[in-house]
Amino acid sequence: MKMWNVTDKILVALTALIYIILWAPTMFLVLFSFNKDELGIRWEGFSLEWYPEIFNNVAVRDAVERSLIIAIITVVVATIVGTLTAYGLYKYKFRGRRTLRTSVLLPITMPYVVIGGSLLIFFTRVAHIPLGYLTILIAHISFSIPLAVFVVLGRMARIDWTLEEASTDLGADKLTTWRKITIPLLLPAIIASAVLIFPWSFNDFVITFFVAGVGTTTLPLYVFSLLRFGETAVINAIGTIFIALPVIGILLMNFFQKREVV
Amino acid sequence: MLASKVVGKVPRNLREKIRKFLAKQPHLPYVGPFSLWIVLFVIAPLGVILYFSFLTTGAYGGEIFPIFTLEHYLRLWRGAYGIILLRTLLFAFGTNIVCLLIGYPMAYCIARRGGRWKATLLFLVIIPSWTSWLIRLYALRTIAGFAGIINSTLLSLGLISSPLGILFNPYAVMFGLVYAFLPFMVLPIYASLVGLDPSLLEASVDLGATPFRRFLTVTLPLTKGGIFAGTILVFIPALGSWLVPLLLGGAKVMMAGNLVHLQYMTVGNIPMGSSIAVVLVAVVLLIMYLSIKLGGEDALERIL
Repeated sequence: MKMWNVTDKILVALTALIYIILWAPTMFLVLFSFNKDELGIRWEGFSLEWYPEIFNNVAVRDAVERSLIIAIITVVVATIVGTLTAYGLYKYKFRGRRTLRTSVLLPITMPYVVIGGSLLIFFTRVAHIPLGYLTILIAHISFSIPLAVFVVLGRMARIDWTLEEASTDLGADKLTTWRKITIPLLLPAIIASAVLIFPWSFNDFVITFFVAGVGTTTLPLYVFSLLRFGETAVINAIGTIFIALPVIGILLMNFFQKREVV
Repeated sequence: MLASKVVGKVPRNLREKIRKFLAKQPHLPYVGPFSLWIVLFVIAPLGVILYFSFLTTGAYGGEIFPIFTLEHYLRLWRGAYGIILLRTLLFAFGTNIVCLLIGYPMAYCIARRGGRWKATLLFLVIIPSWTSWLIRLYALRTIAGFAGIINSTLLSLGLISSPLGILFNPYAVMFGLVYAFLPFMVLPIYASLVGLDPSLLEASVDLGATPFRRFLTVTLPLTKGGIFAGTILVFIPALGSWLVPLLLGGAKVMMAGNLVHLQYMTVGNIPMGSSIAVVLVAVVLLIMYLSIKLGGEDALERIL
């Protein structure tokens, strides 16, 4: 390696500073979730009291349950539809293929407020679907399918497809081929997309805020309602769990992708 | 008798027809569900708000009459609406430029000086973007609030005599936007820097280029793709942001997203809110179109 000159040193120092700024609020939150002070502003000593509190709180438990149900259904539906779409886009040439490929981008490039707002108007004024689980699920799945499509498409480009041809040549029908060859080949991407979609759906606040109804308060919506009352200590504890979840998710994904290489 | 015959016949005919149809369209079972989904739940709702944006409202905005009008679009450019729209554009541009100015050196540093920590350093950039926004912005608010740690530290050090109003001003919103979207700028630039052919850099050094010149004439042009991708990934969400101005700007520093929310959920003037949403969509589509034009067909795919 070359010697580090002054520009490099400044660069490294600046980068370190940005990292600190990027992580300071999160670190602060995690640290203060172990704080005795209920207002969570001044450090009053180490305490674990807020964690049992959130697990004993019925409202929190209900909200977690709702968020989990929504995230799990979203992951299952979006991954299935997304995998099928990616397969169709990759394997077949058909009219409108390019249009479809571009429109996959539509749900993820639209501002969240517009997705949430347009669905709200659509549900209440046109489709007359009462706001609740169904509307939240529709919104989450709409946003999640593209993520699955892109993850699976990425994997497809790197797969040796001769196995699938061999299976067909040997007389296996389409369904058997899918079960025995295609799905196992795509499995790492399917898992990766599920790992990607789950925290997204679980965490989503903006879109859910627009399409949720009475009695479908998800965890982020519940946290938002707490914000108004300034229940800082409880929010800090929930927030720490919120931050821990995706970190675990990303580590899991990393683990699966490493296995994929082997 | 007859009825059962008909019932028995129709499904068989139908099944036959479906089979023939599928033989001609083998891709349909795969891409069909998503195509249907996107038409029903993405394109149709956008169509609905486009329709609503042209409808006339009653005196208080609550009632809607099916009479065509451009009133809402005309109102958008005047008074408070105009200021907010202009601010939205300015903030999106500003966020983009600041993210580029911070993100490029950062990506450069990770790519060049990261060594065996590269993957970890990159992870540390990505992870915040996968945690809850609400929680992160809330944490930011707690730190910067009146009783927060910044103010209390400055107070106890005697640097200030009364708490500073750090929040609820344009700077707080800009900071929040950069804080939220910086990862989206760093990632694509990092990818393009790593993909750079080192022999080109060596050649420029051999030919006597100074480090600065080498950066300007070799590195920067070759990482244009990354800058381009990062710009799209930052500009579009910054333009439509709602939560950042809501939590850090309050009622004083609203952006277009807040207007949509306010009109839809508080004021109840759906046509007005729709016209703002339509303008946002139009700008996003324009950017997407331009990026496909300028960056080639797979420009957008490379981003993802």
